[in-house]
Amino acid sequence: MIKTENLLKRVNTSEGVLTILNQVSLQIKPGEAVAIVGASGSGKSTLLGLMAGLDSATSGDVFLSGHSLAAMDEEQRAILRGQLVGFVFQSFQLLPSLTALENVMLPIELKGDPQAHAKARQLLERVGLDQRWHHYPNQLSGGEQQRVAIARAFATEAKILFADEPTGNLDTATGAKVIDLLFALNHEFATTLVLVTHDERLAEKCNRIIKLVAGEIVSDERNEDVASV
Amino acid sequence: MSAMRTWQVSDARESATLNSPAPGSAKPGSIKPVMPLTDHKPLSNLFRLAMRLLWRDWQSGELRLLFFALVMAVTSVTGIALFTDRLEKALLLESANMLAADRVLGSGRQPPEAILLEAQARGLRTATTLSFVSMAFSASGNMLVAAKAVSNEYPLRGEIIVTKQAFTRGVPVLNGPPPGEVWLESRALPALGIEVGDSVFVGEAELRVGNIIIAEPDRQQGGMADNAGPRLMLNMADVDATNVVQLGSRVSYRYLFASDAAAPLDEFEQWVGANYEDQYRLRNVRDESAEISDALNKAESFLLLGSLFAVLLAGVAIALTAKRYSERHFDYVAILKTLGCTSSQISFIYLSVQVVLGTIAIIVGSILGWIVHQGILQLLSSILLVELPPAGYQPFVIGSLTAIICLLAFALPPLLALRETPPLRVLRKDIGQQKFSANLPYAFGIFGAILLVFWYSQDFVLTTVLVVAVAGIAVLLSVVSWLLLHSSGSVGMKAGSAWKLAMTAARRRRKQNILQVMVFSVTIMSLLILTLLRTDLIDDWQAQLPENTPNHFMMNISQSQIAGIENFFAEKGIVGNTFFPLISARVTTVNGSQPDPQEALGSDAEGGSLTEGGSSLDEEADPANATPDADGEAIAATDARTEVADATQENAAGEGNAVGGRLSRRQVTWAENVPADNLITAGTWWGQDSQPGYVSIEQEYADWLDLEIGDQLEFEVNQQTISAEVSSFRSVRWDNMQPNFFIIFSPGTIDHLGATFLSTVLMEREQKIFLNDLVRQFPTIVVFEIDALIEQIQTIIAQVTSAIELISVLVLVCGGLVLLSCVNATLDERFHENAILRTLGAGKKLILTSLFIEFASIGAIAGVIATLGAEGSLYYLQEQVFEQDFNFHYWVWLAGPMLGMLIIAGLGVYSTRQVVSISPLNVLRRVV
Repeated sequence: MIKTENLLKRVNTSEGVLTILNQVSLQIKPGEAVAIVGASGSGKSTLLGLMAGLDSATSGDVFLSGHSLAAMDEEQRAILRGQLVGFVFQSFQLLPSLTALENVMLPIELKGDPQAHAKARQLLERVGLDQRWHHYPNQLSGGEQQRVAIARAFATEAKILFADEPTGNLDTATGAKVIDLLFALNHEFATTLVLVTHDERLAEKCNRIIKLVAGEIVSDERNEDVASV
Repeated sequence: MSAMRTWQVSDARESATLNSPAPGSAKPGSIKPVMPLTDHKPLSNLFRLAMRLLWRDWQSGELRLLFFALVMAVTSVTGIALFTDRLEKALLLESANMLAADRVLGSGRQPPEAILLEAQARGLRTATTLSFVSMAFSASGNMLVAAKAVSNEYPLRGEIIVTKQAFTRGVPVLNGPPPGEVWLESRALPALGIEVGDSVFVGEAELRVGNIIIAEPDRQQGGMADNAGPRLMLNMADVDATNVVQLGSRVSYRYLFASDAAAPLDEFEQWVGANYEDQYRLRNVRDESAEISDALNKAESFLLLGSLFAVLLAGVAIALTAKRYSERHFDYVAILKTLGCTSSQISFIYLSVQVVLGTIAIIVGSILGWIVHQGILQLLSSILLVELPPAGYQPFVIGSLTAIICLLAFALPPLLALRETPPLRVLRKDIGQQKFSANLPYAFGIFGAILLVFWYSQDFVLTTVLVVAVAGIAVLLSVVSWLLLHSSGSVGMKAGSAWKLAMTAARRRRKQNILQVMVFSVTIMSLLILTLLRTDLIDDWQAQLPENTPNHFMMNISQSQIAGIENFFAEKGIVGNTFFPLISARVTTVNGSQPDPQEALGSDAEGGSLTEGGSSLDEEADPANATPDADGEAIAATDARTEVADATQENAAGEGNAVGGRLSRRQVTWAENVPADNLITAGTWWGQDSQPGYVSIEQEYADWLDLEIGDQLEFEVNQQTISAEVSSFRSVRWDNMQPNFFIIFSPGTIDHLGATFLSTVLMEREQKIFLNDLVRQFPTIVVFEIDALIEQIQTIIAQVTSAIELISVLVLVCGGLVLLSCVNATLDERFHENAILRTLGAGKKLILTSLFIEFASIGAIAGVIATLGAEGSLYYLQEQVFEQDFNFHYWVWLAGPMLGMLIIAGLGVYSTRQVVSISPLNVLRRVV
């Protein structure tokens, strides 16, 4: 489903060239739930950005469902994201001028699906926000906003879900509920999940844990307690 | 490719999930390993999303400033265009009424009939008039009248207002008197002791009084002959019978032409120019009236400048608001991109927003423009003498095109640059647009501004000058603002915490602040330029023709009549006549040599309303000076002009030139004090203890003769030679409709040579009846009535003044929008910083004070730079474009910086006040 080959990311800083990711190669199978863990600055968010096609590598390549991202321009990567990928972010990234319902409808509408309204209502119901569909993001709590973001991520039946610190902005209890919801939906939709987190308990819920240190994979372990979808 | 193949083989299962549409039903299946990349987003969905965005951004207020700036641009341009379009049409119509035609050909000799026939052959309507001064006799009296014979077609434009009862309101008629009839002005009837229906003799012809003339369209256009007394109008067919007009008689012929289409008139004008070069020339109202032409030209320049400023300021406001809008949409676009929107789809969305917003702005702006221009017309209804012709569609096209150019140049580039927003911004907020895209809007904005300037002015040189000037000012402003803001740190350290906080903030945001200072400077500068220019223009006009401008000239007054005339007016309660001695003189030598004049005199002296400039030439050009104005060469404004024009036709040497090796005769005077509206430009005036033997010369005339202070001049005055030393040069205001002189002697120099006197007096309409008594009591004097002309000029000046006031208000509103947009542009950052400060415990007072100081400093710097720029620009505009004398506006040097400080500080604190009125958490939530 996802494969990276010798992924290298370097950036120019005032103090010289900084290597953020160094020759990272990995492979993620369909249905896997993979946690990428590591300290701040270890390169895990950069890796997620590269795998999701949000950024381009200095060298190396990423293959999403067989498509080489290095061979694509931003326009093609956008189309691929629209067809294949869903996101959940630490800061929710809902559009502030759209209601909860409209935020969920947005990716469905962009696909041209005439059932956008019904599907979005159904998903909001599934995440427990059917009563608050007409609220704007700033009228919702952090946990509620993240639930809307999760509903949006699954709205287009994306095959791959990238989650960047999904509980980073939430308290423990709310975070736990959101995570339960995320994994439940992930299971229902048979999605491949790539999750970047600091939270060890969250990582434990995944069936594979990749640890990054200074831009390199130092461990890639399978969690036998959790089965793939 | 090989990598992909390996991947497909190694992971067959992944493709199985791709086509599993239903939630929960995703199971492996056999499909193609690599799905095709196709984009299915229908445009209708994108458009719907764009409209939702538009509506929500409107509700949240984000688009309002941008929309208002656009509406302002359309409103001001459409309103101004509508107003000027209709006013121009109305003034042309009114002007045509002033001439009783569209074009006029005038001469002291009868022009060839071939000209009339050619005009008729070209489909033009024609009429002829013949003006002369004559005596009218009745059974009980006689009086000097300004006779005018008119052909049956007269007037071609406007109407004659007639009545049967003297001094009553009349009704309009389309033609003049039929053969056998005369029409007289009210004043003539009591003087002649007659009523309508009685007979009068003009020369040898007995004619019946058919009507009383209350008004005629071209009353003031016939030259001296038209101002010498009340009007007597007769039919052209009766002229021969009067036997008054003989060879050598002083008469004024006028051929009138009119057409509903402009092209035949222009072609005919060219034909006359080609066939009668140096002999005859067609004239329109601008040629006929220098005062009106001057006022109209200046008003047009001002309106052009005003609308340019309005549009450019609105453009800056649009650019600033669009930039802020686009900055606030970075995240939005990044999210849309993560959801699969391509760059071209982003462009489509924001283009749709702009097209819809622009369309609504054009509609609203056009309606508001219409209302604004209706408002102006309503305000001016009392002084608009003619019914305005309906507006064309062009003003709306101009307004709409302006909006489109503003959008394309100022709003679209920053919005389209959004397409470059990297999707990675969803993970890393610090990532912005690429440099090239970020700077692109400025390039487009500058290009758009140049395009607008050129489009409005249609003047390549002006556009170039403006572009170079603005570029220079921008560089200067950047340097000055950078230096000022750079040095603010050391000042701030000594002045307490709020001050320190403000200065640190100002320094930290130096880049944005320099941009803000530039925008504020240019805006305040534009407002200052327009306000000062407006004030100076209006002051100038009011000074030209103040309320109490005398509107009647009396000539040929002898020394012995002065006391009697003063008494006469004193008894009637009319005060304020001044008496000017007049005598005819010619410069014969300069320092003992023949004078050697330079090229022809300047336009002011030539076309201005000078008292004696034209008449003396007339004397040279028309030796048959056998008119009743005797030696009354000092004549009133309009006559001078007409005589000059007549003389120009008869004598190609032109006005003021030496004729036959001799200089023209001039009407000269002597005076103890410098006349009003005269300024000494060199040398000294003789003052109260004056000695005979000195002379003061008008500056242009002195230049023309290449004179210097101290030169010895010899004059021929009444066949005697008089010497005088040049003691001063003077500038003269020729357009003040008052007696003005090229040459003024010191008292005692020529007093003994026998002068007549000229006097001026202000008489209201209802006082004009006294003229009969005056002429009866002092039969040798000649009265020139220029009240109608002064009234006409004052009306037109009042109209253009109102237009100028309105434009100033529109530009002020645009300037306000720019200031508001510019303050708003950095609002987010200030909100964020101050919210953090508040969470750290900073009090309301500290924050508000530091905000006030920061904005006030920026405003003060902008005010200083704006004042500097405004005075510099005004110097150029007044000297080069508006032909005014530039004077320093000392008060502006204090008012400019103070205003800048107060306005910017007020707006800034007002816009950011919420930072202390709502909770820091909400502020942080709002801006994060």
